[in-house]
Amino acid sequence: MSADTASGPGTTGTETGQRTADELVAEPAELDVYDPRLTRFDLVREGARRKGIEIVHYEPRFPPGSRADRRMERVVASLFLLAGAAGMGFVVAYIWWPWEYADGATATSKFYTPVLGVTLAISMLAIGAGITTWAKKLLPHEVSVEHRHDQPSSDTDRKIMGATLGNMLDETGVTRRPLLRRALLLGLAPIGLVAAAPLVGGLLKDPHTNRTGEPGFNASPQDYTGWNPALNDEQPVRLTFENGSPIRPADVSVGGQVTVFPGIDHGASNEYADSPTLLIHLREEFAAELRQNLYPMNQDSMAGNFVAYSKICTHAGCPPSLFEQQTNRLLCPCHQSQFLITDNARPIFGPATRSLAMLPIAVDNEGYFVATSDYQVPVGPSFWER
Amino acid sequence: MTITVRPSALKRRRQQLRDMPAATGRGLDDRLQLASPGLRTLLNKVFPDHWSFLLGEIALWSFVMLLLTGTFLALFFDPSMEEVTYNGSYTALSGVEMSRAYESTLTLSFDVRGGLLIRQMHHWSALLFLAAIVVHFLRIFFTGAYRKPREINYLIGVAMFWLAFLLGFTGYTLPDDALSGSGLRIAHAIILSIPVLGTWTASALFDGDFPGTAIMPRVFILHVFLLPLALLGLITAHLLIMFKQMHTQWPGAGRSNRNVVGERFFPRYISKQTSFLLIVFGVIAALGGLFQINPVWLFGPYKAAVVSVATQPDWYVLFLEGSTRLFPSWEIRFPLFGEHFTIPTLFWPGVVLPGILTTLVVAYPFYEARKLKDKQIHNLLQRPRDVPVRTGLGAMGVTFWLVLTLSGANDVIASTFDISLNATTWAGRIGAVVLPPLAYWVTHRVCLGLQQHDRQVLSHGVETGILRRRPDGGFMEVHQPLGPTDPHGHGELEYTGAPVPKKMNRLGALAPATRGFLAPVERPSTPPTEPPTPNGYEGTEVAGTDQSR
Amino acid sequence: MTSQTPSRRPRSRARRRLGSSVRLLAALALAGFLYTAFAPGLAAQDQPLSPTAAEGEELYQRNCISCHGRNADGVEDRGPSLVGVGEAAVEFQVSTGRMPMTRQEAQAQAKPPKWQGEELERNVAALSAYIQELGGGPQMPAGTDLAESAEGAVARGGELYRINCSSCHAYSGGGGALSSGASAPSLAEATDRQIYAAMLSGPQNMPVFGDNQLTPEEKAEVIAFIQHLQEDGDPGGVFNLGRFGPTTEGLAIFLVGIVAVVFATLWIAGKS
Repeated sequence: MSADTASGPGTTGTETGQRTADELVAEPAELDVYDPRLTRFDLVREGARRKGIEIVHYEPRFPPGSRADRRMERVVASLFLLAGAAGMGFVVAYIWWPWEYADGATATSKFYTPVLGVTLAISMLAIGAGITTWAKKLLPHEVSVEHRHDQPSSDTDRKIMGATLGNMLDETGVTRRPLLRRALLLGLAPIGLVAAAPLVGGLLKDPHTNRTGEPGFNASPQDYTGWNPALNDEQPVRLTFENGSPIRPADVSVGGQVTVFPGIDHGASNEYADSPTLLIHLREEFAAELRQNLYPMNQDSMAGNFVAYSKICTHAGCPPSLFEQQTNRLLCPCHQSQFLITDNARPIFGPATRSLAMLPIAVDNEGYFVATSDYQVPVGPSFWER
Repeated sequence: MTITVRPSALKRRRQQLRDMPAATGRGLDDRLQLASPGLRTLLNKVFPDHWSFLLGEIALWSFVMLLLTGTFLALFFDPSMEEVTYNGSYTALSGVEMSRAYESTLTLSFDVRGGLLIRQMHHWSALLFLAAIVVHFLRIFFTGAYRKPREINYLIGVAMFWLAFLLGFTGYTLPDDALSGSGLRIAHAIILSIPVLGTWTASALFDGDFPGTAIMPRVFILHVFLLPLALLGLITAHLLIMFKQMHTQWPGAGRSNRNVVGERFFPRYISKQTSFLLIVFGVIAALGGLFQINPVWLFGPYKAAVVSVATQPDWYVLFLEGSTRLFPSWEIRFPLFGEHFTIPTLFWPGVVLPGILTTLVVAYPFYEARKLKDKQIHNLLQRPRDVPVRTGLGAMGVTFWLVLTLSGANDVIASTFDISLNATTWAGRIGAVVLPPLAYWVTHRVCLGLQQHDRQVLSHGVETGILRRRPDGGFMEVHQPLGPTDPHGHGELEYTGAPVPKKMNRLGALAPATRGFLAPVERPSTPPTEPPTPNGYEGTEVAGTDQSR
Repeated sequence: MTSQTPSRRPRSRARRRLGSSVRLLAALALAGFLYTAFAPGLAAQDQPLSPTAAEGEELYQRNCISCHGRNADGVEDRGPSLVGVGEAAVEFQVSTGRMPMTRQEAQAQAKPPKWQGEELERNVAALSAYIQELGGGPQMPAGTDLAESAEGAVARGGELYRINCSSCHAYSGGGGALSSGASAPSLAEATDRQIYAAMLSGPQNMPVFGDNQLTPEEKAEVIAFIQHLQEDGDPGGVFNLGRFGPTTEGLAIFLVGIVAVVFATLWIAGKS
C-alpha cells in the first residue's frame, strides 16, 4: 500500500524537487537585435526567448548534402511523385472504369469502389508519409522549452478584476433596486417561455388518443391496432398476406407460420406498425397443450389449431419471429427474449416480461380468417401509464 | 510596353521584386500589427511530442472527413418518408415499395459515380471517430490528464462523446433500411420506457405513433445541423482550452510542472499534423474502398414485420444493446391513486445505466481530487502503474464495458463459435458482475509489481548479463547502477514516476545509431572496446536517455 | 434431446410427462415391438415397390433402419417415423449430410454427405422414391435449377425472403443462432433443391412453407433471390466482413482502422 500513497499527486519528485531545464538555462541579458553579427536564427531564438521559449537544442538531422540527407530527399520526392501518380490513377479510374452496377460476382463494376478507394488511399498516405519524412529527416531536430503561464493571476490582478466586476454590477443597481430586479425577472420569464412555447407546443401531441381521435383503451398510445373493427366499418378485419390476399386455414401447413396483416387499406404498411401478427398452425398435440394452458382472456382466441400472436415484442418492439416449430419457441433477434407458444407466448428467457398479445381469430362464412376483435391488451413495449 | 527594356528599369523591377515580401510584411503590420509578440508566441508555441498525444487528433481529422463526405451525401440524400417504387440500377430491389429516404440512399450508392465510396468512407469515419474518442478518453483517464486545471476540457470531452454517439445513431437511422428501422424502433421503446414522461416524449418526437412520417426529417435536421453545430462548438472550445492551458507532458529530464518540452508549432509540429491528417484520410479511404460497410441494399426497406438475426447497432451502441440483452426481466408495476403504473424493464439498462456510467465518469476527477485533498495544478502525466487504484478502477470500467459490448453481439458469437445462445446470455450476466472486480484486483497487483521492478532497478541498477564468480564460488550478475551510489552500492536516484531504463543499450552503453522506423538509416556503430565506467552517468542524463517514452 | 431431433410425433412432449415406471413399461413394449418388427414375414407390403424404390429400400436397410425402424415407422428415443414426410424431407436431410446422423445431438448437423457426386444423386433419388412410395408426402420438382428467371423475380423473391426467411437466416443468408444451442444454417452453399426441399418439409426447427402459403412460383422466386445473395459480389469492397453487419465492422475499425492509425502516430511521434 505504500506505493499507493507514494503515488499521490504532489509527491512525485519531478513535479517539485528536481532541477529542470528552464532553471538550468541561465537568464542572459536581452540581445541587441540590430547587432550585425547576429544570424537570422539568432534572431529567431532571441524572439522566442523573449516570450519564455528556449530553443535548447537545434541541429540538422543529417549534415546538409550528406549521403543520408540526399537519400532522404529522394525518398520524400518519390513519395510525392507516387502520390501524384495515384491521384492521377484515381481520376482515370473515376472516368473510365465501368461504374454502373451490374448483377453478378464477376462484373468489373464491382471493383469500381475498391479501385477508387485504393488509389485515393495511396495518394493521401503517400503525401502524408512524404511530409512526415520531410519533417522528421530533413527539418532540423529541435528541443524547445516553454515556460507555462498557468499560475493563478496575481492577487493585485484578482483584486482589480473583482472590483471591476463588482462595480459593473453596482452601476446597474440591481443589488439595491429590488423592485427592478424582480420586475426584470418577471418580465424576462415569459420571454423565455415564448422561446420554448413554439417548440414544445409544436411538438407535443397527446399520446392518449387513438386512431379515430377518441380517448383510448387503458390510456395507451397503441390502443387501436389495424385489427380494430372500427377501422373496417365495424366488420371483423380479415387476416391477409403481405400482398393483401386473405388467408384460408388450408394456406398454412401444419408446423407452418405466416406473417399476417390487417386486411384494410395500407394494412401491411408501416402506418400500422403495431399490427403485424404471426399466424401459426400448431401440430395437434401442441394445440391441445396450448388449449389447456390458455389464459381466461384468451379462451376464445384460437381457431382450431391456429393461433395468432402479435409480432411486436413486449420488450422493445422488434418482431420476435424466429419460430422454432419443434421447441415451440418464438425468439426475438434483437434481445433474445424467448416466448413459449404453447403457453400463451409467455416469456421463458431473456429480458421480456409480458406475454405476446394473442389476437382473437375465427374463420368467417367464406372460409377466411378474421380477427373477431382487436387485441385485448396493448401490444408492444411497456410504458408508464400502461 | 516597349520591346527593349532599359537595363536600369529592369534592375529597378528586380529590386522591387526582392523587396516585395518585406513590403507586404510592412503593409500588413501597418494595418494588423502582425509583428507584435502575440503572433510570434503562436508560431513558437511548444508542443510535447508523444504518440499518445495524437490520439485525439484521430478524432479531429475523422470529424473533418465526416464534414467533407457528409456534405457530399447531403447533396443527394432526401429524408422523406414518402412511399416510392424503386427503379434504379440495383436490380434486386426493382419495383419494391420503399421510402424516399431509402431510395435516395440506394441512388447515391449505385447511380451516383463514386457515391458508394463516399458513403462508405463517411460510415468508416464515423466508426473511427467514435473509436478515437474512446481511445483518447482512455489515454486521458489512465494518465491522470484530467486533473486540475483540465477538468473543464474533460467534461467537454464527455459531452462530445454523447454528441458523437447521437450523431452516429442518427446517421445509422437515416437510410431507413430494415436494420436501422429496427434500431429506431428500439430507441422508440427506450424513450417510451421513461416513467411519467415516456409516452409524451415519444409522441412528441415521432409526431404520434411509431414510425409516422415526421421522424426522418427531424432526425435529418439533428444529424446534419443541430448536432454537428453543437459538436463543432465544443471542439472549438476543447482546442482553445487545450491551447491556452498547453499540453500535458510525461515526466522526464528537464521536464517540470512549469514548462513544456517539445518542438515549436512551426514548422515541424504543423508539418507532422498535416501529414497525420492525410494519413487518417488515407486510412479512411482504404477502409471505404476495401471493406464493405453497412450494405443497406441487402437489408431492404424498413417494414415493421421484417427483422433479421444479428440485428445490431454500430459498435459504440453495442454496450447498451448488451446491457439490454443481459438485464433480467424485472418490470415494476404498482397501484397509485387507483390506477396502475409500470416501470418497464427497458428503463434500467436503456436509460438508468448510461446515466449512472456518465455520472461516474463525470464525477471521478472531482472525487479523486477531494479524496486526495489535491488542489494543485498538474501538468505532468502519471504512468498508470504509479496510481494503482485509478488504473484498477479504470480496468474495472473497461472490463464492464467490454462484457456489455460483447453481450451486445452474443448472437453472432453464439452462431460463429457454435455456443448456445442462452449460455452466452448467462455468461454475460455472470461476467458483468464477476469480471470487473477481478480486473481491478489483477490490475492493482500488476501495477504494484511494475512499480516494484522500477524501484529495484533504481536501487540496484540494470542487469548487464555479465556473470561474475564470487570468491566463494557462487555466481552473481553485475548490475550497472543508474546514478551515484551510496556506500552500500545502492542507487541514490529518487523514484519520480518517469520511465526507468531496463536494458544496457538504453543507457548509452553502445553508441547510438540513426535508425529508421522499420530499417536502419545508418549502420549501427560498433560498440566501444572499453566498457563505460559505472560512474560516467549523471542523473539528468540517465533520465534523458528515455525521453521518447 | 429428442425434442429437437426431427420429430413428426408427439412422442417427445408426451414422454416428458411419463413417470419412470411408465418409461419402463414403454421400454418393455418397445422390446416386444422390435421383436415383431424383426420377425420374418410379418412386415407385409400393400403393393410392390418400383425398381428405384426397391434400390432405396436396400439403402434404407443398410443406413437408416437402426434409428427410423423397419418400415420407417420410427424408433422410440432414436428417430422419428418417416411415414408421410415425403421425398422433400429425404432430399434435404440426406443431400446436406444431416442424415445419416453420426450421433444423437440437439440438432442434426450439416456435414459432408455420406455419398458424393452422382452416387449421392442416385441414392437420394432411390431413398426419396422409397419413402415417397411408403407413405406419400410433399414432392419435389425435377431439375437442379429451380430459380425463377422472369424479370423482377429476384426483387419479388427478396420481399418474400425478408418477410419469411431473414428472421432466422439473416438478411444476407448467413444464418444465425436460435434458442438453447439450435441454429439456422447459412445459405451460402445451399443448392436450389435443398432450399426448395427445406421450405417444403420444414426440417428440424424450421417452419413448413407449404405450397398454399408459398406457391411453387413464389418458392422459385425466393430461390432466385438466394442465388442472387450467393452469386452477387460485394460492390462495396474486396472484403465483405462476412456481411455480419455492425459487429464485424466494429471489430474491423479497431483491428484495422485504429491499429493502422496508431501505428502512424508511433511513426510520426517517434524519435527515429
